[in-house]
Amino acid sequence: MKRIRVMIIDDERSARNEMRRLLADYPGFEIIAEAKDADEAKALIEDKQPDLIFLDIQMPESSGFDLLESLEQVPQVVFVTAFDQYAVKAFEVSALDYLMKPVRAERFAKAMDQVRQRLAEPREERIFVKDRNQCHFISWSNIFLIESMDNYARLYFDDKKVFLKSSLNQLEQRLNASVFFRVNRAQIINLQFIDNIKTPAGGKVQISLKTGDTVEISERQWVKFKNRMDAKNKGG
Amino acid sequence: MLFCLLIVNTLKKKTTLPLYWKCQLIGWSVASFYWGYIGFLGGRFNYFIGSFQFISDVALYILITHLYRNFALRRHWQQLNPGDLLKRLVPAAVVLGLVYLLTTATKIYLFNQWLASGNAGPFINFFKVNWLLMFTAGVRLMSIWLLAYHLYHYGKREVGLVRENSRLALIAKDAQLSNLSSQLNPHFLFNSLNNIKALVIEDPKSARRAIDLLSDLLRTSLYNNDLLLCTIKDELALVTDYLELEKLRLEERLQFSITCAHDLGTTLILRYSIQVLAENAIKHGIGKQKQGGLVNLKITPEADFIKMVVENPGKLDMAAPLEGLGLKNLTERLSLQYKGKAKFEIVGSDGIVSASLLIPNA
Repeated sequence: MKRIRVMIIDDERSARNEMRRLLADYPGFEIIAEAKDADEAKALIEDKQPDLIFLDIQMPESSGFDLLESLEQVPQVVFVTAFDQYAVKAFEVSALDYLMKPVRAERFAKAMDQVRQRLAEPREERIFVKDRNQCHFISWSNIFLIESMDNYARLYFDDKKVFLKSSLNQLEQRLNASVFFRVNRAQIINLQFIDNIKTPAGGKVQISLKTGDTVEISERQWVKFKNRMDAKNKGG
Repeated sequence: MLFCLLIVNTLKKKTTLPLYWKCQLIGWSVASFYWGYIGFLGGRFNYFIGSFQFISDVALYILITHLYRNFALRRHWQQLNPGDLLKRLVPAAVVLGLVYLLTTATKIYLFNQWLASGNAGPFINFFKVNWLLMFTAGVRLMSIWLLAYHLYHYGKREVGLVRENSRLALIAKDAQLSNLSSQLNPHFLFNSLNNIKALVIEDPKSARRAIDLLSDLLRTSLYNNDLLLCTIKDELALVTDYLELEKLRLEERLQFSITCAHDLGTTLILRYSIQVLAENAIKHGIGKQKQGGLVNLKITPEADFIKMVVENPGKLDMAAPLEGLGLKNLTERLSLQYKGKAKFEIVGSDGIVSASLLIPNA
């Protein structure tokens, strides 16, 4: 069986070593890299694409949360913290996997069981958003609408919405263009959620989503949209 | 009767009427009503005269006592202790009794004169017959009024004092507790334990040393928390232990230097005042720098003051320079202990944050 590729991120050498010792009892897991701060970690994650990271929250310059928010694709994460009541509260309300230092072997075994289960599920591309005191791992396929709010983007998924610090232009560039489409200056929709398209007499084209939301499409984008549909239909 | 109803009505409508006026109106109305009732029982009762007496009594006696109240207020008699107040109340009752006598006698005489169409005889005769009765009644009434008024204010003041004292006691207790929790910084504690766990395998000698240091730190923070002051020497021993322990964890990222003018060792300072600065330097300085750096602690005498400076690399968050329980607590304790004579400031420039504490050299 393929081994699970793990990365350890902590600013303290002894803490990284402790994590190595805990992982030594789990032959199915292979430590492919260590990082001592968020910048180093970001480069290594993008380069080596680990399946799982053990992540300390309090690190110099950028925190573990900052690191996750900067990633385009987020691997499975187990948070590790010495004690941070705010972080722990965030983990609790968001039902995330976390460990408290020093980590007991039994507690670690439990976390590893959960990780195995999560990794057995089909992997989806997802992002991490920390909005106020809540942490969210959001699969792109669950996001049906994105709205611009000044320097923030508001993501709608399931029955929730969160703010992401990113302009709509920045976001549009990193989105999968075969799934997401910008309908006007302020909105991007997930094409897989389209229910029907209506053209009221003399008005702008309106797209209804399966969630019940309706967006208007600008004239310029409507031309693009039709071309795309045509190309897609011709293509197959 | 009508007047009474009127008063009750106005009381109902204007529930904002101050308690003082309510008491004045109700108290004097009840008294006047009682006099009217006595007159009624005595026969030959005229409703017109009765109403007139009632209204004039209430108005007159409210006026007299209200003037007294303004006088007492201006002289701050409410703040006197019971003994001093009593010394003033006895003559006040006599004076008010005299005023009562004069006004009441004049009023009743004029009233009788009017009813008898000017044939009521000379005032002096009327006065001679009635003065003693009126005077004792006046002293009695005014004494009741004075006692009621001042007892109410005295009670109110006592309740306020008790409340204020319990609030102060609570603040002091609170300061003690947050003192404790700021010392047993859980993040530091658990990071240290995790570090010791690693050192047990990697470097047993350092692990043993770390346990000694942590034990002493715990001892200091768990006991003697009621002590407000300690010598600079003791405080520096604590800070040195703390920094040495942190160095075992942060390794090459932490350097530290401590210098203290040697004759200051026995000087008393606020307990944990340097420790809070050192913790802050690690948490917000070294902990936030990838490369770490030097924590530099200097204690020097300066005129009548002692200056304690802790420097660390880092950037000062200008939006919230005094954020964090530790520093907030420290400034509060400083102002309590030195009554505004101590000075604390934290400045940042060229990548160095410098926290300095100036306390009187007592």
